[in-house]
Amino acid sequence: MTAAALPTVLAALLPLAASSGGGGHSLPFVGPGTYLIFGIVLAPVYLMVVAWYVGEPSDRSKAWLGVGYLVGLTTVLWGSLFVATMAIDVLYF
Amino acid sequence: MSVDTTDVSRETLVRPIGTLSKQYLLALVAALGAIGVWVFFYLQQLQHGLIVTNLADWGSGGGVPWGLYIGAFIWWVGIAHGGIILSAAVRLLGMDRYQPVARMAELLTIAALTCAGVFILIHVGRPDRLVTSVLPAWPTRVQWSPLMWDVTVITAYFVLTATYLALTIRYDIHRLRDRLPDQLEPVYAVLMVGYSEREDAIVERMVWWIAFAIIIMAPLLLHGGVIPWLFALLPSMAGWAGGVQGPSFLSIALTSAVSGIIIVAASFRRAYGWEELVPVEVFRGLAKWLGFFGLIFLWLQLQQVITGIFAAPTTLQHATEVKIATPVYWVAIGLVLAAMLYVFACSLRPSLFSIPVLVALSFGVLVGTLVEKVLFVVEGLQHAHFQLYDGVPGVYVPSPVELSALLGTVGIVVLFFLVVAKVIPVVELHAIEAAHEGGDDA
Repeated sequence: MTAAALPTVLAALLPLAASSGGGGHSLPFVGPGTYLIFGIVLAPVYLMVVAWYVGEPSDRSKAWLGVGYLVGLTTVLWGSLFVATMAIDVLYF
Repeated sequence: MSVDTTDVSRETLVRPIGTLSKQYLLALVAALGAIGVWVFFYLQQLQHGLIVTNLADWGSGGGVPWGLYIGAFIWWVGIAHGGIILSAAVRLLGMDRYQPVARMAELLTIAALTCAGVFILIHVGRPDRLVTSVLPAWPTRVQWSPLMWDVTVITAYFVLTATYLALTIRYDIHRLRDRLPDQLEPVYAVLMVGYSEREDAIVERMVWWIAFAIIIMAPLLLHGGVIPWLFALLPSMAGWAGGVQGPSFLSIALTSAVSGIIIVAASFRRAYGWEELVPVEVFRGLAKWLGFFGLIFLWLQLQQVITGIFAAPTTLQHATEVKIATPVYWVAIGLVLAAMLYVFACSLRPSLFSIPVLVALSFGVLVGTLVEKVLFVVEGLQHAHFQLYDGVPGVYVPSPVELSALLGTVGIVVLFFLVVAKVIPVVELHAIEAAHEGGDDA
């Protein structure tokens, strides 16, 4: 059976079984991580954020507060590392 | 089942904030000392490079570029998991018995994740490499690289945990504000931005959903997912590859995490006379979880050993034979086994139960799980499918520089708790609220 004969979903998952990218050094933009991380692992987070906005009781401003924490903390975490990196670059290199 | 905290006052809850004991100062000095020792050695590493560790390259130390640093990284992430899982379980599953230790568990998660990050930071050599390597590569490599999956999910996990804490603390600060220090008003003002009592039910529901996300993501997809996949997806390393690593990593994480919570909770209980706030029933419950997770840990070790020595592929058999011939592996197993047997013995004869013994055994479990993880990393590298390392001289032994980092991260966790305990209540107000609902000064 060729890949073309496989059902579409199964064919889309084929990269999971060939994570080297099928040889060569340039990898396609879409790989197993696309499905695994953004499709499966982070799915509970998507559901959580949607639930903050819909259902009762909910409040848009509080939902934005929650989203603000998620975005803000991520920015602070990597932003502070970025600033430290720039400082190291300026001071030592 | 809920524990009885009806006699506990709000003054008791904020006791760590308002008191300063000699023991506190001693702990502070010890934590700073431990961090200082690590900083001293880390400066050597920054100055001379990873050559001062035994992880410099593949040409020495038996061919082990990953060792204590990565073993300790996995260990800290594991400890981090159980903390927030326990707190999430209190909210989702109604496990109210553990309410008094829920916030300590959340804080342990944040501190332990920080330490895990520290180990990655110091293991990449130049600290700026974390940014210069990861950030530019992320958009095109997250689709393919388990390392990038790991970075992504750990970041998400840290952010979720911190958001969880930031939202739940608002309720407590509002009601305990008159008992909190005025000097920290700017901190509380930031934490309480936009607060009104009307938000309580809404935020409680939001927090329930965070707990929901965490309880799925953390056990099944982080320490049972992206962390073991760093190893399990590498078929060239006989001791690493295979689907059993997911549940095995998870069992070790939960075992070590419960041990960590027991130690933190017992420390606060003793330091602040919290016998009523954190009653012995909490520890009996945690002990049962420790025994159960320890059993799963040992069962999965058995699975790996049996499948590794009974008609296994040649390299896996070799790796497993080396593992079971390593005395310190049996020390690790023995430490977990001792804790499990004690817990089971206490179930049969409750009079045997003692918090100090449980704490001592929990320390043993932490040592055992750390040893197991370091051995897993090191032996997995040493006994690969290929012959690359056969001619590599020496054996890997953690250097003083690496050991100092372990000491330093323990110091960071202790310091974190010492500082945080002076700023926010480390026990949720909900823990005593059943008895004081509607009352401000009970």
